Amino acid sequence: MGGKVTCTLGEVKNRADFIVYWGGNPAECHPRHFTKYTLTQKGRFVPEGRKGRTMVLVDIRETPSARAADLFLQIRPGKDFEVLTTLRALVKKQRVDEEAAAGTGLTLDQLQDLVDRMKRARFGVLFFGMGVSMTRGKHMNSAAVLTLAAELNAFTKFVCMPMRGHGNVTGSDMVLRWSTGYPFGINLSRGYPRFNPGEFSTVDLLVRGDNDAALILGADPGATMPQPGIEHLARIPTIVLDPKVTHTSRLARVHITTAATGISAPGTVYRMDEVPLPLRPALKSPYPTDEEVIRRIRRAVAEKPAWTPAANAGMAIS
Amino acid sequence: MLRITGGKVYDPANNIDGVVKDVCIAEGRVVPEVKGGRSVDASGMVVLPGGVDIHSHIAGAALNFARGLTPENYRRALTFSHTPERRAGLGGITPTTFATGYLYAAMGWTTVNEAAVPILSARHTHEEMHDIPILDKASLVLMANNEIVLDLLEAGEVERARHVVAWLLWAAKAYGVKGVNPGGVVAWKSGKNANTLSDPVEGYTRVTPAGIISSLAGIVDDLRLPHPLHLHCNNLGVPGNVATTIETLKILEGRRCHMAHLQFHAYGGDGWGTIRSEAATLAEHFNARTNLTADAGAILFGDAMTITADGPWEHVLYKLTGRKWGNVDVENETGCGIVPYTYKERSLVNAVQWAAGLELLLLISDPWRIFLTTDHPNGACFWRYPELIDLLMHADRRRECLSRLAPAALKRIVLPDLDRQYTLSEIAIITSAGPARALGLARKGHLGVGADADVVLYDEMPGDRPLFGSPRYVIKGGEIAVEDGEIRPVSQGREFIVRPRFDEGIEDFLRPLFQKVYTISFNNYAVEMERLAGAEVHVCE
Repeated sequence: MGGKVTCTLGEVKNRADFIVYWGGNPAECHPRHFTKYTLTQKGRFVPEGRKGRTMVLVDIRETPSARAADLFLQIRPGKDFEVLTTLRALVKKQRVDEEAAAGTGLTLDQLQDLVDRMKRARFGVLFFGMGVSMTRGKHMNSAAVLTLAAELNAFTKFVCMPMRGHGNVTGSDMVLRWSTGYPFGINLSRGYPRFNPGEFSTVDLLVRGDNDAALILGADPGATMPQPGIEHLARIPTIVLDPKVTHTSRLARVHITTAATGISAPGTVYRMDEVPLPLRPALKSPYPTDEEVIRRIRRAVAEKPAWTPAANAGMAIS
Repeated sequence: MLRITGGKVYDPANNIDGVVKDVCIAEGRVVPEVKGGRSVDASGMVVLPGGVDIHSHIAGAALNFARGLTPENYRRALTFSHTPERRAGLGGITPTTFATGYLYAAMGWTTVNEAAVPILSARHTHEEMHDIPILDKASLVLMANNEIVLDLLEAGEVERARHVVAWLLWAAKAYGVKGVNPGGVVAWKSGKNANTLSDPVEGYTRVTPAGIISSLAGIVDDLRLPHPLHLHCNNLGVPGNVATTIETLKILEGRRCHMAHLQFHAYGGDGWGTIRSEAATLAEHFNARTNLTADAGAILFGDAMTITADGPWEHVLYKLTGRKWGNVDVENETGCGIVPYTYKERSLVNAVQWAAGLELLLLISDPWRIFLTTDHPNGACFWRYPELIDLLMHADRRRECLSRLAPAALKRIVLPDLDRQYTLSEIAIITSAGPARALGLARKGHLGVGADADVVLYDEMPGDRPLFGSPRYVIKGGEIAVEDGEIRPVSQGREFIVRPRFDEGIEDFLRPLFQKVYTISFNNYAVEMERLAGAEVHVCE
């Protein structure tokens, strides 16, 4: 299992006639998604717009997004992996017992109907949210969604996309990938990048209390991290760069107010489909940009005696 | 100022073949004479122009996708530790940006052409190229499946298509035009492909792959771009595809064209069980057509990463290998597919591929028209070029490798019969002088007065030890970038871009079209000049 079969959002707009949202609530979390990309737009090969598209919502509860759906499928919490695996089996026409489906909250007929619809689609797309990727099963759930979409290509055109959010998280992911090879969970303490989600990812470092300082940029972990992680941030010297007061800035030792990127600072933002967009500031800000602050910190650090792993004779370098 | 004294100079572009002479450098260029400054004693060394890679994938959305897809590959990768002068990074199959610059430079290559850029993410490609140290770079944009261009060809509006191509090139701040599986990638968006050149492309009635190829080659010539159309033919990797390739050569009659990674297009047979190398047939046709250049796209046994805009082909490869599959269809423009791949000596198909690459390099008689590439990271990683050079220069090395292949493979290749061994001068042509000329980079690939001072010094080692791979010195733009295997801090490289002529009014045609078919605004599409690090603009008159 593995891989990712995807496209840019314009492909969805121009071609998708079958759209599944799974474990996400775009009506509230990505409020422009329906109107800009997936549902109401008239596309080159979907000239009827909304009428030419079918939308299925799969979730554990009926969110406001269900109102926009042609079909809402409510599954039991924590059963995403089971449902996805059953769908993969049905796609391949393998025999599935009625009982296997029973625990998922859906009947075998409902699942078979979804598979038939997916196979009949001209261009299908599966968007999955944090309800899939961040609940029990985590990356195994994501892998199951991605594999389902990949395997459907034996029958029709099908793609898949995570519903990413939280500011420019995709941009951070992109830059880290080209500069270190890895998207997140990177440790540079040996002088070169190492990757181990679960060991080096932010949440794990904070909860274990491994780090003895924190520099936080464009994020508010004080609002989203587990309590032991938040307590650790309050214990250590935490520096926050943010245009506004946040949960994290309140517990930080230092808060440097910076200009808001996209409003009063230029930059680049990556969409969830990894398309980069330029940001042009509309206003002037009395505050420095994030980039300016980081550059000044780097300059100040460079004036201190060098500490690099290579210069530090005591450390083993492979 | 720098003087390289006593070295044996190989500068094929200036007909210098192993002559002991000084090379003088001032202000980043080769000059007739310098007084004072540093002097490098090159006695016992050979002196060559810096390597030029005409076709490689070193930056951009697709490569970055591949990096994210295979973190496990970095476990075995070469590590680059952070120092005050050097950035951290990882080598491996898809090196990180900083490592890419260090690895190429440490091998003696100083200019690299990124061969596949979707315009929609060109901004990203330039950001990555900005983070590739030392090297000079250029990039080619994908155009043979651009639906705006194809719609114009369908309507017979070639003149307007030319303006659109020129506008798109400038919008992407690119150097040239790439065509990948013409018509096939757009068909893939409906789950189809383009396997024949003369049938209409899926979704069109008049446009055929043949029509796209000849129109684009013509447009590129008419725009007077320094580099001709850079073409990845239809049916890449498919047994029997040599027929398509030869048909493509005929379509290109009277036009300039660069045929990318020719090895992947040189197969006979009618299935995986009957595949054979048709490199000899293809070389014969190619030798007769002086309007064309090509790069080898050779493979080497071992791990690789297939990355191409040829989405349908990668779906085939996914089904064949069962390995991870990445696919990104890019709205209105192109696609992209990624599958990790391992070439195995004992595999019949892989053995044929390995032989075909070398056969093309040995059977295409004019070294000025065939260049050394592995279509990095598709056929092998660029940092394995020295292995290929070794195979080209030593027939006995090839025999050694042939002895390890499955006997059945030997009946499907002609490599065992080829005794040609490349000379040092020929190596300098296929790795530097030739690709520089084909790219139209007048100051690259030679050491004449006025050339960019990109110079590589190797210890001369007669006998059987490889000469390439670990240069003593690499000089980039007059600065010493590598000294005894150590990377030194030097200036940031340049980016070559073209400014073709187009009617500014073409924007009035494009703007409303954009609102309809794209999801980003027209004003956000073109890459701003400030995004580029040290752009050198070639104005096409």
